[in-house]
Amino acid sequence: MSRWVGRLSAVVLLAVLVAWGVALLGGYDVVADVDNARISARPGTAGLLLGADRLGRSVGWRLVEASRAFVLPGLAAAFVAGVLGVGAGALAGYRGGAIDVLLRQAWRSLAAVPRFVLVLLACTIYGAEPAVLAVSCGVAYAPVIAEAVASRIAALHQHGFVLASRAHGVSAARTLVVHLLWANCRALVARHLLHVLAFVVVVETSLSYLGGFGIEEPQPSWGNMLALELGTPDGNPAAVLGPALCLWAVVAATLGAASRLREAGRA
Amino acid sequence: MPELRLTGLRIQAGPRTLVDGVGLVLGRGELVGLVGESGSGKTMTARACLGLVEARPGIVAGDLVVDTGEERVVALRSGVASAEAFGAVRGRFVGWLPQQARESMDPLRTLGRQLRDVARLPGAASGSPEEWLARAGLPSPATFVGRYPHELSGGQAQRATVALALARGSRFLLADEPTTGLDPTVQVGVLDRLRELADEGHGVLLISHDLRQVQRVADRILVMHGGRLVEELRPGELLAARSPAARALVDATPGMGARP
Repeated sequence: MSRWVGRLSAVVLLAVLVAWGVALLGGYDVVADVDNARISARPGTAGLLLGADRLGRSVGWRLVEASRAFVLPGLAAAFVAGVLGVGAGALAGYRGGAIDVLLRQAWRSLAAVPRFVLVLLACTIYGAEPAVLAVSCGVAYAPVIAEAVASRIAALHQHGFVLASRAHGVSAARTLVVHLLWANCRALVARHLLHVLAFVVVVETSLSYLGGFGIEEPQPSWGNMLALELGTPDGNPAAVLGPALCLWAVVAATLGAASRLREAGRA
Repeated sequence: MPELRLTGLRIQAGPRTLVDGVGLVLGRGELVGLVGESGSGKTMTARACLGLVEARPGIVAGDLVVDTGEERVVALRSGVASAEAFGAVRGRFVGWLPQQARESMDPLRTLGRQLRDVARLPGAASGSPEEWLARAGLPSPATFVGRYPHELSGGQAQRATVALALARGSRFLLADEPTTGLDPTVQVGVLDRLRELADEGHGVLLISHDLRQVQRVADRILVMHGGRLVEELRPGELLAARSPAARALVDATPGMGARP
């Protein structure tokens, strides 16, 4: 069962990457795609697979184009969270003592603020740019990774093989990077980075749905697509179900892939 | 003369003195037994030889000079450790065969991978994983290259640590209770292999609380008690031991001392 979840998750995540690649190729013009003749056209009509929204724009193309709103920010946030979380966690777990206490206090103070509120604050102060979204999501999630890595490293540090590698003359840096982080923590970190991706998708969609913080029209985001269509009488059902299902599928796929990693016994 | 020379080692942990004025000389080609009851400071002494004890004045005192015949390194001078010197000494000059052999290996890497990793370190020996495993006394060494530590028995794991030390090119081996938890026939195999390594030119310090085992293979036996070296004996002189600690060890060994 879990293997099928893993495969299905991989297929969904691959489909997202393909959609992102297609969107990057620039085959869709978000400004020019307005046609009053096909307002709220149903799926399969007006030559559109998923129909059109209430401004007469292709729902299918906008779903694909919306991947630009979260894929690159998601990857960037994962990078930021990974660098900060793994760096701080490894240092605290390996060195212990005062450095451990100081770093743990620092990231626990940060973690005391709800992650969504932190991102909202950053977007309010620095503007709702994709870079701000990426960095703030990464910083907000870093404490979770730091805590997990620090606990794992601190536990492994007591193991005989760490002392033995020092006795073989392996440098502390190599022991930490190769034997502890790479060999014993990479699946754990990968699992958390998948969680960061899911977090970015949810946050970006929520901000765009709220309006004023996320992606603004005419640029599509699953959040602003939902905001536009929800409550529209006689609207195209696919214009609501499409982004909602995409959001659910991507979040479920990232969490499913993370869960598969854990069940593989390596995380 | 190639030797590992430890002089006046003292290790302090707060008000407690764990090791007090220990000095020993381990020559290449000899196997020296270091015996004593648990907590007598044997393991701490071995760890100090590898720089695995936080060495700074007030906590550690003493000198450690390692002379392999080709190079001479002063790793510890008046309790001050030279990080650079210990960097050269650890592994390359002095290898460690820990008590928990299986736990001393990376659980997520195969034996072959770990041997190759060790062989890439500066000053390591040349050869293949199969060669080192064969030299460590493992039969059919090719079958062990792809195994993980948890797939090894206690005796195989202990020999695997010997192979790692050989791959590292260690001239002196500090074997810390290497036969703990092994059945008697495997114990004999491991001890015989250590004796052969000494005969091949390695210096071997065998730490144990089992006097009978040490007597079988050692050239000299050092007895520790309460952090001090209390007596040095030849294997044939055990019954003539004078110190109470050595006498107690002899008496506690079945078939050797007063008690059956």
